[in-house]
Amino acid sequence: MTRMSDDVMDAVENSELKQIRDIDIDDVLDYVHRDLKKLPDYEQLYRRYLRQRWDVYDLDFTQDVRDWSEGMSQEERDSFVAISAGFHHGERQVEVELPVFMLGGSEESKIYMSSQIEDEARHTVFFDRFYREVVKMPGATVQEVLDSSFAHVSETFVGPFGLLAYQADDLRRDPEDEAARVRYGTTYFLWIEGVLALSVMKITLSYCRNRGFLPGYYTGFTATCRDEARHVQGGMRFLRDAVQNDPRMLTEIHDTLRTILAINGATSRRIALEALGWSPEEVRRLMIRQLRMKLTDVGISLPPDIQEMVNRIEPELAGG
Amino acid sequence: MPAVTETAVEFFGPEWAERARAAVDAGPDAALRETKLPTYWGWIDNVRATYGESWALGVTDLPGGPRYLKLSWRDGECHAAEITGPDVDADYVLSGPLAVWRDLLDGDDPGRIVMYRRLRLSSGNVLRFFRGIYFFVESLAAVARVPATLP
Repeated sequence: MTRMSDDVMDAVENSELKQIRDIDIDDVLDYVHRDLKKLPDYEQLYRRYLRQRWDVYDLDFTQDVRDWSEGMSQEERDSFVAISAGFHHGERQVEVELPVFMLGGSEESKIYMSSQIEDEARHTVFFDRFYREVVKMPGATVQEVLDSSFAHVSETFVGPFGLLAYQADDLRRDPEDEAARVRYGTTYFLWIEGVLALSVMKITLSYCRNRGFLPGYYTGFTATCRDEARHVQGGMRFLRDAVQNDPRMLTEIHDTLRTILAINGATSRRIALEALGWSPEEVRRLMIRQLRMKLTDVGISLPPDIQEMVNRIEPELAGG
Repeated sequence: MPAVTETAVEFFGPEWAERARAAVDAGPDAALRETKLPTYWGWIDNVRATYGESWALGVTDLPGGPRYLKLSWRDGECHAAEITGPDVDADYVLSGPLAVWRDLLDGDDPGRIVMYRRLRLSSGNVLRFFRGIYFFVESLAAVARVPATLP
């Protein structure tokens, strides 16, 4: 990773929604990782949220509609929907499953988590608007649009998001159960947000930038990625603190990763990522890199069996 | 040769349980396998090869109280099915109201049923359960394909 210049960092940190369109997704991804070694506290993250919050209804999809119908090929549209549909449902999933996590932890954590719940709700509306206004998925309600897009959701997403749903139910029995919180946090903050979300962002936003398509999507999803920087940093802080407070929590992280990596790669359909400018091997390397950067930066070590599973990560976003 | 249409049997009755066991034990037919990547079925076959746990799939609001279809696996074979309830003992106990089962039997995606946690896991280790999740999802789909008359 290259070291960000102060100017670039300032641009990512402080841009208004209209200016975000000019920011390169790679700079936002660098921004996600920039603070991982020192990790801001929950109050700092909450303050940043208040500065960076954006209005999803300010996005203009007029040009996206033209690009979708006139500029993009059918193969590009199919691949784009296939890879982004998971996060149409994923944003809804993390929105509805996060409140139970907010019930535990410190008061600062609870205040910060309230902002993350709002972020996730806004991201759900972002995808709802994109699928409704640009992709033209049928449906009068948020649920009906979700129903329309589920056919495109790969097992890649069903596994981890389903796991999160059941872990949330586990946590609901005792929201202060630290081991249950760590297992939940590993799935949510480390894998779903730290690996899957950032990989989908990199793939779809690089495509938009390189081809000059979908400026509304690029703007909204880049702003979403900047929000994810807070989520990933807050989540990694939670996991790091949990292990520092009780080293036995490392076992919970490892056990969760064993499950996540065991179900990785079991996808039933192939997505033609080449249409978006990516090869399966590039996606595989991207996912491994995203995972290793989080683990290394917050000092989470892995035993040999999980190291081996990481090496065998399938390019699941590419469909096998 | 024309396809033989199975007659519907009583939902959560003994005959339905045995047909459900046979369906999950048989696994997907060739036509169904064709619809998904070979690597996906390969993953499921790998999980199934040594599978030896039991599932209790429950409906919570039947007249007379909750009932469960208990399916027991041994070395990758679904060797027993029984209808039991209201108490049940299984490695994983999942249940939901009749409305969820009705949606499932009407063709709702079993993966989505799981992803939206419409069948809740009341007993069993979540992480261990999910290590075979696609095997479970496809087995649930097989159970849903058994014609049944619902109350």
